[in-house]
Amino acid sequence: MWLHSLQVIFAAACFVRLSAAVFADEAWNVDYHYALLGEPKEETTFFHQPNPSSKASLIYSLSEQGVLGAINPRDGSVVWRQPLLRDDTAQNASFLRAGEDRDVVVSGLGRQVAAWNAADGRLEWDLIVDGDLADVEILALDEGTPTTGAKDVIALSGGEHAAVRRIDGATGAVKWRHPLDGPDVPYQVSASATELYAIALHKTMLGYYKLKVISLDPVTGRKTDEHMLSSESELTTTDTIVSVGANSASPIIAWTDSAASVLKLNVLGTSGVSSFNIDKHGEGAVRRVRMHAPRHSNALAHFLVHYESDTAHWAEVFHIDVRNGKVEKAYSLPKAAGRGAFSTSVIDANVYFTRVTQTEVVTVASASHGILSRWSLQGARVADNSNSTPEPIHAVSEVSFKDNAVSAVRTALYTSTGDWILLRNGSPAWTRPEILATTIAATFAAPAEAEALVKQLQAEAHSNPVQAYSHRLQRHIADLKLLPAILSSLPQRIIDAFFGNSAEGGIGHDGFGFHQIIACATKSGRVVAFDAASPTKILWNRQVADLQPGQSWQPSLYSPRGGVIVVRSRADIGVEYSATDGELLASTLPVAEREVPSSKAMQYTIRSGGLEATLGERSAWHFVPANGETVISLVPRPINDPVASIGKVLGDRRVLYKYLDPNLALLVTGRNASRTASFYVLNTVSGAVIHSSMHTGVDLDAPISSMMSENWFAYSFTAEASDDSPKGHQLVVGELFESLVPNDRGLLSAKANYSSLESGAEPFSLVHTYQIPERISKMAVTRTRQGITSRQLLAVLPDSNALVGIPYGVLDPRRPVHRDPTKDEQMEGLVKYTPVLDFDPKWYLNHQREVVGIKDVETSPALIESTSLVFAYGLDIFGTRLSPSFSFDILGKDFNKFQMLATVAALAVATFVVAPLVMRKQVDQRWKLL
Amino acid sequence: MHSQWRILFLLLASIANAARLTVSIPASPPLLANPATLPSSTHAVLIGPAGVHYDVPIRKDSTFAFGDLAEASYLLTIYSRDYFFPSLRVDVGAAADGSQHQTIQAWQTFRGNEWNNKGPAYGQGRDELKVQVQPTSKKDFYQSRGGFDILGFLKNPMILMGLVSVVFIFGLPKLMDMLDPEMKAEIEEMQRGKRAAPAELQSERDRATSEAVNAVQNFDIASWLAGRSSGGGGSK
Repeated sequence: MWLHSLQVIFAAACFVRLSAAVFADEAWNVDYHYALLGEPKEETTFFHQPNPSSKASLIYSLSEQGVLGAINPRDGSVVWRQPLLRDDTAQNASFLRAGEDRDVVVSGLGRQVAAWNAADGRLEWDLIVDGDLADVEILALDEGTPTTGAKDVIALSGGEHAAVRRIDGATGAVKWRHPLDGPDVPYQVSASATELYAIALHKTMLGYYKLKVISLDPVTGRKTDEHMLSSESELTTTDTIVSVGANSASPIIAWTDSAASVLKLNVLGTSGVSSFNIDKHGEGAVRRVRMHAPRHSNALAHFLVHYESDTAHWAEVFHIDVRNGKVEKAYSLPKAAGRGAFSTSVIDANVYFTRVTQTEVVTVASASHGILSRWSLQGARVADNSNSTPEPIHAVSEVSFKDNAVSAVRTALYTSTGDWILLRNGSPAWTRPEILATTIAATFAAPAEAEALVKQLQAEAHSNPVQAYSHRLQRHIADLKLLPAILSSLPQRIIDAFFGNSAEGGIGHDGFGFHQIIACATKSGRVVAFDAASPTKILWNRQVADLQPGQSWQPSLYSPRGGVIVVRSRADIGVEYSATDGELLASTLPVAEREVPSSKAMQYTIRSGGLEATLGERSAWHFVPANGETVISLVPRPINDPVASIGKVLGDRRVLYKYLDPNLALLVTGRNASRTASFYVLNTVSGAVIHSSMHTGVDLDAPISSMMSENWFAYSFTAEASDDSPKGHQLVVGELFESLVPNDRGLLSAKANYSSLESGAEPFSLVHTYQIPERISKMAVTRTRQGITSRQLLAVLPDSNALVGIPYGVLDPRRPVHRDPTKDEQMEGLVKYTPVLDFDPKWYLNHQREVVGIKDVETSPALIESTSLVFAYGLDIFGTRLSPSFSFDILGKDFNKFQMLATVAALAVATFVVAPLVMRKQVDQRWKLL
Repeated sequence: MHSQWRILFLLLASIANAARLTVSIPASPPLLANPATLPSSTHAVLIGPAGVHYDVPIRKDSTFAFGDLAEASYLLTIYSRDYFFPSLRVDVGAAADGSQHQTIQAWQTFRGNEWNNKGPAYGQGRDELKVQVQPTSKKDFYQSRGGFDILGFLKNPMILMGLVSVVFIFGLPKLMDMLDPEMKAEIEEMQRGKRAAPAELQSERDRATSEAVNAVQNFDIASWLAGRSSGGGGSK
């Protein structure tokens, strides 16, 4: 009874301040956010001045993940972002171009050509074409009159109605359209100052490709010429086409034979092909040939060819004689070990090449091989403790000149570790871990230090008293070694504590469990780990899976004990890594500990539209949804889902018993033809349906998210309109009880033991539906150590780019309908049910931040009961700490230390002042009495 | 060449047929004085029947343009980082006169109400409709803590009373000292007279009252708590 009343008081205290919210003083401190673009692509990344009149430039990139964005090169912050691809499943070619001295950037992705304001990222115009885009170019046509508006755009689309279009740069209207008939595959467009070339691939009878160059009149779109380039039996795949230059004084096309021994070049518009032998430079075949050419029509017609072998790279610079179209080699850049990146910059008409090797950054002019600037690469080792050094993958550079000498070189370098680094004169200015945008699995792990202490304490608890005492003594003596360090850091810690700076030290000194290690497995087979309490520093980053190009993996990460992270791909045993530094602990698990597919574990497979559970070899049960519905998702109760109380204490101190079963799962099925969706709560051991509901008019193309925890479930969907029902998004919350009569356990009361298979007891469920303002793409629930703290439903709102934490009290299915709550219900914190539920902006965990593209949310309990750690990943990385019932076991920011000290001081002063007075009064009183 | 013209014709026909909706955000002081300050992530979503979902980003002139809308009933929602916007119902239907044209209408709609329950009309057009939508409120993300406020603290009547009594305790003797000796003597005389007077003047009742007042003033809380009555020591 005492406990019950305590819980009532506790619950009341929680619900009085129902709106668990983001506090202004915590907002930018306890949460962290990486606003990512995704892996930048070499062809679609460049420096550009958003305002032609100012010199300040931004870095623009359209990433592999289909996100277009502008990055401030000063601090690496995102100026604006536009996710062009809402789902990154389809791999489309993407293009990003910027006209010289124009304030728009033009993107091409899928079937959409769009122009964006370079300064603020707003849409200028967009156009949908009838075929996947093969290329987008800006027409750098010299039309005599200086045009102030945007430059026109040339778009080449493939598919059935392949065509070249000229699009008005100001409005997005099509000026002309030239169809490319026939079986040839459109490849690229290229524009010189006067001509326009469309290159198509012509497949010969023998399976080789031939390059077909179609010259077009830029003004009318009429074909002026067409010819084949003699690339006899050289092009077997398009991979060996090195490059098709564009927007240069004389655009070229380059290709190699399949053995990469001869480089062939053609200046577009001519029919001659120049051949250059590729020097082998010692051992190792040339793996890759790339070309770097300026993209300015008035720049010098110089270009650089970059050769790459397995162990080294080198480059050659070529000049084109514009008058006769002859190509000749000017000079070559020496071989350097490892991989390297070259980038091209243009100032006025001069072309400069910047080379990043593993050790230095070198800038040369295209005209001569003299080195203009050289900086050694400092501190670009991203993760020092990982034994592999990051290799440069690609780079873009901006060279500044002062007094005819290179004064500064800024290079945005993408490395093999997935970091995008800005090198300012060779030293890194900022690093963006863009690889985290490809996270496909993540987990929390407690650091090893905390685990070591737990182990020692366990050792003491399990040995005899004398041994335990000596062990403890030894431990404390060992701890004494740390004393000088602690003493020396003490003043700083006190000062920090007073001025409200976080006094949270390294991973080792963490009494609250905030310093957990988050490990993210990325699409490219790497695992990146960082500390949840100091996320600005990546702890380690290493390649764990050796994936071939095009190969994918389905990793799952978990932490079996503190300090260890197990990475397992599908159908693999799993490999253990140290959570702190990423060291491999054991390549394979010891046989004795190996997890054999046990005969006691149930396995669930979706078979012929239904769900089948097998126990060992035998089929345990089979669930077939009604009316030809198919399974959409199955969400089980979390494995680690502690429940503090088996009952819900009512206002009058009676108890409603929760229906708690560890084997509950929420199954969602749907049928597209009838637009129905059914939701079943299943017992996963017996296969029994515990609760089911069906909704009609459900949009199955919209996300249907679901969640199951403790004895309640939640799901959301988008409903269609009918005249008498509302259209929009709905959130349904249901709670299961053993009986709806307080203090009664129903059928279960008579039983001492409970079995999923034999129990006939079915729960009573209460369900409420809420109309919510937008769709929810993913749901999760907060987790705390004991489960005492009230829970919050975490919902990802893709339309608002937000993650909200909805307090359970708001969703409670026991909210009274059509009447005001009674006094007892008010005690519990229940308020009258309203069908419309608005997401209070104070529930937005991300507050003013915009968290884009979240795919999943992980939660983990901290060491203190009040707090749950939240980590969301997808495109962006976002994490925070949540106290759904407020921080009742930790002094938060609301605890004002100054105020406390001031109060104590004021009391002390008052005591000293009043003491003589009191003394005098007492003495006086004595005299009076006598 | 022939095929080209046919495609062009088809394109033109589809453009002529397609209903277009342009939603603009006007300057609406004081809430949103300049719609150009809206971040580029602001976007508008039209949800039609199952599977129909248009999502367009904000344009430079703070508008959202939907082209090529099929005949259906749509829910329009504008999402912005900092503001809430009302949601609209947009109906696209065939024109009543049976021509190739389409009518497009927009009303405000209220979440949680049946779809027929329409709010004020935002406009109606033939093939094309331009509506203006103003934000309803600004998002307020941050909960402020009930911090310490020295002024509020001082306004507390208890504190005020305490301060006044402090002023009396410390200030009054000082004030007495500052008076000139004659005046002081006079006041002392007056007070002495007052103290001496009651013995003769007071009636029985008055004396009883003053005893009660004395009893209250000399109340000994310690002895009372110890269970002794102030009257003379007999415990119960």
